[in-house]
Amino acid sequence: MTFTSWQFGLFAAIVFGAYYLPPFRTFQVQLLVLASLVFYGYGQPELLPLLAAAVVGTYLFLILALRNRRIWLPVGIAFNLLLLAFFKYKFLFISAATGNYTGIATIDFLLRLPLPIGISFFVFHNISLLVDLTKRKVNAPDLTSVFLYIIFFPQLVAGPITRAEMFMPQVKPKYLADIPFVEAAKWILVGFFFKLYVANNLNEMTSYMDFPLYETLRTQDRWLLVFLYSYQIYSDFFGYSAIAIGFGLLFGYRLQINFNLPYIAQSFSEFWTRWHISLSNWLRTYLYIPLGGNRHGALRTYLNLMIVMGLGGLWHGAAFSYLTWGLMHGLLLVAERPFLARFDKVDWAAFRAIRAGFVFFCVTMLWIFFKLPNFDHALSYLHGMFIPSTNPNPPKLFYDLALLYSFPVMLQHLVPQGRFGKSLQMIEPYLYGAMAALMYLEAGPDTAFIYFQF
Amino acid sequence: MPMSDIRWFVKCALTAILLLFACGLATAWFGSGLELPATTTSDGTLTTLNRYVRGPTPDVVLVGSSLTFRLKEEYFSTPGVRNVALAGGSPVTGFEIVANQAHLPKLILVEMNILSRATDKALVEKFSNGGKADPLFFRPVRTAVAAYESWNHKPPDHAQVALALDRLLKQPPSDFDNHVYVDRAFDEMNAEDPTVAAGINVTRIQHLLSAVERRGSRVQFFELPYSDRLEQSRSVRITHEIVHNAFPDPDRWLKIDCPRSELRWSDGVHLDERSALIVSQSIDRALVSLPGSM
Repeated sequence: MTFTSWQFGLFAAIVFGAYYLPPFRTFQVQLLVLASLVFYGYGQPELLPLLAAAVVGTYLFLILALRNRRIWLPVGIAFNLLLLAFFKYKFLFISAATGNYTGIATIDFLLRLPLPIGISFFVFHNISLLVDLTKRKVNAPDLTSVFLYIIFFPQLVAGPITRAEMFMPQVKPKYLADIPFVEAAKWILVGFFFKLYVANNLNEMTSYMDFPLYETLRTQDRWLLVFLYSYQIYSDFFGYSAIAIGFGLLFGYRLQINFNLPYIAQSFSEFWTRWHISLSNWLRTYLYIPLGGNRHGALRTYLNLMIVMGLGGLWHGAAFSYLTWGLMHGLLLVAERPFLARFDKVDWAAFRAIRAGFVFFCVTMLWIFFKLPNFDHALSYLHGMFIPSTNPNPPKLFYDLALLYSFPVMLQHLVPQGRFGKSLQMIEPYLYGAMAALMYLEAGPDTAFIYFQF
Repeated sequence: MPMSDIRWFVKCALTAILLLFACGLATAWFGSGLELPATTTSDGTLTTLNRYVRGPTPDVVLVGSSLTFRLKEEYFSTPGVRNVALAGGSPVTGFEIVANQAHLPKLILVEMNILSRATDKALVEKFSNGGKADPLFFRPVRTAVAAYESWNHKPPDHAQVALALDRLLKQPPSDFDNHVYVDRAFDEMNAEDPTVAAGINVTRIQHLLSAVERRGSRVQFFELPYSDRLEQSRSVRITHEIVHNAFPDPDRWLKIDCPRSELRWSDGVHLDERSALIVSQSIDRALVSLPGSM
């Protein structure tokens, strides 16, 4: 079930209606767990047992690790990483075309299962649960609360990856009077607007970046599409996260903010504090810092950065393109590190703008490896950006339409919030009303959220 | 809920309703007079079909797939030619829609190259019987862009078109190296077995043919040329055999005689602009030579 389907609208309305009814107050957590199972099982019911096994398995390891952290925490983490590796990277070792992989019915059945939607996200939730709760030596939470933390439907499929220590204390009875309705509505409206108006319309154009269509593009259109994809992927993922936060609020849970105007970042390290914040935080907390962080000298710090970004790239999928994307980001983080302090001292608007422009350009170029997971296709696309096109019948792209569909992203990033804050507040309800109308009138053809594939 | 929140929601909802109402009113007032720029195949299909069901019935209409889509109406010297070929679609979809209109053209030309695709039933439903396909609301951003594009790129007049076509014909055939595309298209068309789909489509075409001819219209079939390599592919050979077995009468087929050495397929499958013009002119000649020609 996707957020943009009418089925989801109906589902959310029914669950919301029942959730705050007095007779259900003592069963709110159970109701949300049940609703989340329905949400997940709607499209892939065959994967529900797997989800349940992952949660129950993690819960068992949590109980054991609360007794003996040194032994059972690594086992619990390994259990989750194996689960992720099995589904995500199995085709590195076996051929997808083969029907009969091992000859052992059970294993072949598991190998034939499709990639469970959201596995990368719920596995990270599981690990966060194991580490956070055993670190603080809290009392073991009940299984239902653990289920809710891991499979809470707004965040189940594509995050935000909320840390257990942030979510678990929120598991308590909820009251209708406490809901910040306006805040929730704003998140939901802006999320749907960015997905339906910006991302889905831009997707119509950026689909020309796919193989073999990109071979027909003119050189300047290749350049244009890379930037449009940069806007699209932001709008798609920001839109999803915003909708998730909005629905979280409606049910009394505050999820982590996942984006904070990433395309105005003036350095690559700042970019990662603004883009997919929950993943960056997760990687920093559970990987970078345990590896030693920046506590063991410059060289070790650089190595840690490369390891974290490389694994972060591979987390998206078992493709050389994703690894390259991660390593290139790691390289940029390493390259800028010696100069950051000096650059930050220069208090000159033009210099800041140049820095932000450079970071945006590099980040945008690297999205090519994201859009085209086949490494040869990505290189071929890049190569075509620097040579004149010879195809006599290139597709026609409407630049004015591209500009109008990208405009909300530019506006969101470039309008200084502080300076216009007061006037924006006054016209805010009208702006959100206009967005609501526009996302209905100008919605692009329905497409899955990009991060669903991870 | 606090009063300030209620005021916020009222303002937000009123703005949305007002905007929707304004767009609804504009749609009722102007209809779909402005053709939206087609950024996708689906957009192009809607534009093509909207234009057909709203305009006067032409004398000659071409139905087909993306192969026929390349034959622009201005390439034909025969007056009153309308091309409703659907890029990415089946010729049968266009044929159904044309056959379901109250008025039929005198001659319907049906492309018989691509018959492996199913009829788009939703599209047929939407545009059949007068095509009451007006959307409830117009799309403000698309319409603004369409207005700007129409203002900025006015269509050329007849003399300008004639001059441009003449210039195009005088150019030598393109020397663009398309062997990569031909190889890829060959592999795809060789892997495809259109037997079942083509059989279903041929049966449907037989029904439609009887229906429109009973109403006084005439139907001719045509096959657009492929490159030599693609002619040998499995899909092309099977389709060719099926359609000629089903319709063996040679008089049913339009004879497209054009110099094959002049033709080019830039993406391996579709005729390039100059070749499409040459083929269109051949169709013109074939139409003149038809018994009781237009």
